[in-house]
Amino acid sequence: MVDLMLLAPEIIIALTGLIVLMIGIFMGSSSKNVLGYIATAGFLAALAMVIGNFSASALMFSDTLSVDPLSQFFKLVFLVVALIVSVASIKYTEDNTDTEIFYALVLFATFGMMFVASANDLMVLFVAFELASIATYALAGFEKKNPRSVEASMKYLLMGALSAALLLMGISFVYGATGTTSIPGIAQNMEVLTSNAIGLLAIVLLIAGFGFKIALVPFHMWAPDTYQGSPSVVSALLAAGSKKMAFVAAFKVFIVALLAIQADWRMAFAVLSVVTMTYGNVVALSQRSVKRMLAYSSVAQAGYISMAFVVLTPMALTGGILYTLAHGFMKAGAFIATAAVVYMVIKEKRDTEIPDHLDNFKGLGKKMPITALCLTVFVLALAGIPPTAGYMSKFILFSSTIQSGMVWLAVIAILNSALSLYYYARLVRYMYAMPHEGEKVSEPVPYVAALLISLVGVLAIGLWPEPFVEIAMQAASVLVGGM
Amino acid sequence: MSGIVNSDIVYSYIPVAVFLVVALLMPPMTMLIVKLLSPRSTGAEKYSTYESGSVPTGPARIQFNVEYYLYAIAFVLFDIEVLFLYPWAMIYRGNTGVDTTVAVVEMLVFIFVLLFGYAFLWKKGALKWMKN
Repeated sequence: MVDLMLLAPEIIIALTGLIVLMIGIFMGSSSKNVLGYIATAGFLAALAMVIGNFSASALMFSDTLSVDPLSQFFKLVFLVVALIVSVASIKYTEDNTDTEIFYALVLFATFGMMFVASANDLMVLFVAFELASIATYALAGFEKKNPRSVEASMKYLLMGALSAALLLMGISFVYGATGTTSIPGIAQNMEVLTSNAIGLLAIVLLIAGFGFKIALVPFHMWAPDTYQGSPSVVSALLAAGSKKMAFVAAFKVFIVALLAIQADWRMAFAVLSVVTMTYGNVVALSQRSVKRMLAYSSVAQAGYISMAFVVLTPMALTGGILYTLAHGFMKAGAFIATAAVVYMVIKEKRDTEIPDHLDNFKGLGKKMPITALCLTVFVLALAGIPPTAGYMSKFILFSSTIQSGMVWLAVIAILNSALSLYYYARLVRYMYAMPHEGEKVSEPVPYVAALLISLVGVLAIGLWPEPFVEIAMQAASVLVGGM
Repeated sequence: MSGIVNSDIVYSYIPVAVFLVVALLMPPMTMLIVKLLSPRSTGAEKYSTYESGSVPTGPARIQFNVEYYLYAIAFVLFDIEVLFLYPWAMIYRGNTGVDTTVAVVEMLVFIFVLLFGYAFLWKKGALKWMKN
């Protein structure tokens, strides 16, 4: 019970969710704006608790939860992303009648992601995974009257249900062979899995299960439709938060529990990583909807992060883990910027079927200078231009790949980064080199605040990477401990 | 691979395999027998909708209220809650000391969280029949 302090961030988030839900249903829609501030305060408090206990290390609840630098790092990622989303949503949910549902779902989804980060048992991991998934299915369809949003939600739900089934099937094979669901326990009982084909079957099912959430090619089909159709703030949560949840789960399951059969899954990840980054970047080239382009770029980024599974050296894992934080800032920021543009399009009542169409970004540098500047930094960071977070994390990841002798993989990744620069730079060209239509738009304060938080994060990791690399190394050392 | 094939687990599934084969053969067999033996009639009455013997009224595809669905969902939720209470009560029955205190507190937290859901349903009017 002494350790309950370490669980304080989760408890704060859960209580904030319940409070927001309960006081929200007794409020009129005009006064519901206060809920966003309550949720934001909850995220800030939880963030402070996580940072305060950063180097904690403890096992809780009969060893089913583990608080260690790895879990703390990913909790940091989830809370930062949720904070950005929560701040931006103050504007998005303005005058909405269901604000309390929106914030409660964001809080519960974050709660689930945080539990995945500290899960030390496959059953806890699965239940927490589903908690976060179910909350995000509902969030994706938050605009009930918008057919695109409903389509996004439906696709995400069906694909998510399938992936959950595959994941559970994989877990059941692992349990059947090793006789335990405890993650360190599986690592100790690995001889059963190494000697027969059940191990291979479990790997295939687990990669498919996590691959859906991570959006690895060929499990990515839902991602573009869902990211495009969902409200932009929800897309930010999905791409920057829920995707990282699947990464931390995969890190735990493959690198800690199933390390003994790494020969099997490293090969699979090598193929998936190359296919994912190439496919994502090539398809992103031809997208006219910016959210769809960001979705494909997010698929490609998942390919880069998956390289950590292939190289599997402490430095590569550090790079991969740092990349999840960097990508959280960059992608959340980029989606919030499109949210600001969609807001502008709706405000100007432009007759357009796709509000995030590239044409609506014409001359954004003049119309919405802060949004345009931030979006420029985010897309350049996604392409890996110094001095940004994207550059730092790509540098560590790619250089460790070369060090470990996998030059071919590094070359493919670097060529892909160069390819991606084309569509990112095109967006910048539309924003600054094209003439704008209509008046200058005053940018809503919540969007600007969320953009600035992301901007600070992206530049901080790029300009002063030491502390971030340090905590990423600590997180990686938790994974490497088993090697 | 040989590890799986030779294990006793696989042999213990032979009855299941037999059952599966029989289950696959049964429906086509019965349908074939019915087709061969039963008399056929071609009257107009045969093609009318069956409504327990009385003359059918109205179309078969009617809309019914979605309230049924909300009730069913809410019922299942609280049903499962009670289901959790049984193993909890059985495991901790007769135990004394710290364990039971923790167990009671944890169960109270669980019920408390579900009460929030109940209050939410109530306030949102999901328990009201025919809201207009």
